[in-house]
Amino acid sequence: MSGKSFTQEWWLQRISAAIIALYVLLLIALLLIYGAPSYSHWQSLFSNNAFKAFTLLALISTFYHGLIGVLHVWPDYVKNAMVSSALNAFSWLAAGGYALYAIYILFFLK
Amino acid sequence: MSDQPLQKTKARPVYRNIGMGDLANYRLPIIGVASIVHRITGVALFVGLIVLLPMLHMSLKSEAGFEAFRTIVWGNWIAKIVLLGLLFAIVYHLVAGVRHMIQDANKWLDLAAARGTATAAFVASIVVTALVAWRIMA
Repeated sequence: MSGKSFTQEWWLQRISAAIIALYVLLLIALLLIYGAPSYSHWQSLFSNNAFKAFTLLALISTFYHGLIGVLHVWPDYVKNAMVSSALNAFSWLAAGGYALYAIYILFFLK
Repeated sequence: MSDQPLQKTKARPVYRNIGMGDLANYRLPIIGVASIVHRITGVALFVGLIVLLPMLHMSLKSEAGFEAFRTIVWGNWIAKIVLLGLLFAIVYHLVAGVRHMIQDANKWLDLAAARGTATAAFVASIVVTALVAWRIMA
């Protein structure tokens, strides 16, 4: 699928899931406790370096996890070789594009 | 050897590979629904990042961007539905994913537990989605 062994993929899928789950649970807890943030709270949360690093880790885990996921899902429904390679190429491009965009948002904004 | 007359036997069930067109003829049990919804929410989230990342970008760009983002989300019911849908997708995919990993460890595999936890996954994620939605709208 991604050129790695299936066992390795199986583990990486679960490790990335655990990272994303922790991040999502943290965000949900913050929303439940404090409600919708104001701009200044939101801005200061994302200017904290530890939170920024956790966000980047969670986002990269999300793109990887999603890429592996869709690469396993497409062949169950798409049998045509050309459509299949196009879908795989789009998925890789999307994951790569997402990663570059996320780095830009977190580290190169303004 | 039985001597039952042939005309009394019922039509034998036919087992074969089914295609997409046959799906409507089969009732999918809740365990199957839990599985396919996990898959659908996963794909929806991977595609949905194309909306979520620009939203993050907009919210962090400037105070004006943040306010514009709030206006778009709260002033437009289509945006609200998309956002609530993605929120449900995140929560459900997480809950069902945890259930899946517990099943990887050979637990909750008997019929009653598999059914019960599939239902519980839906109930729990709907409740959490509703709570978060209520909290951020209040």
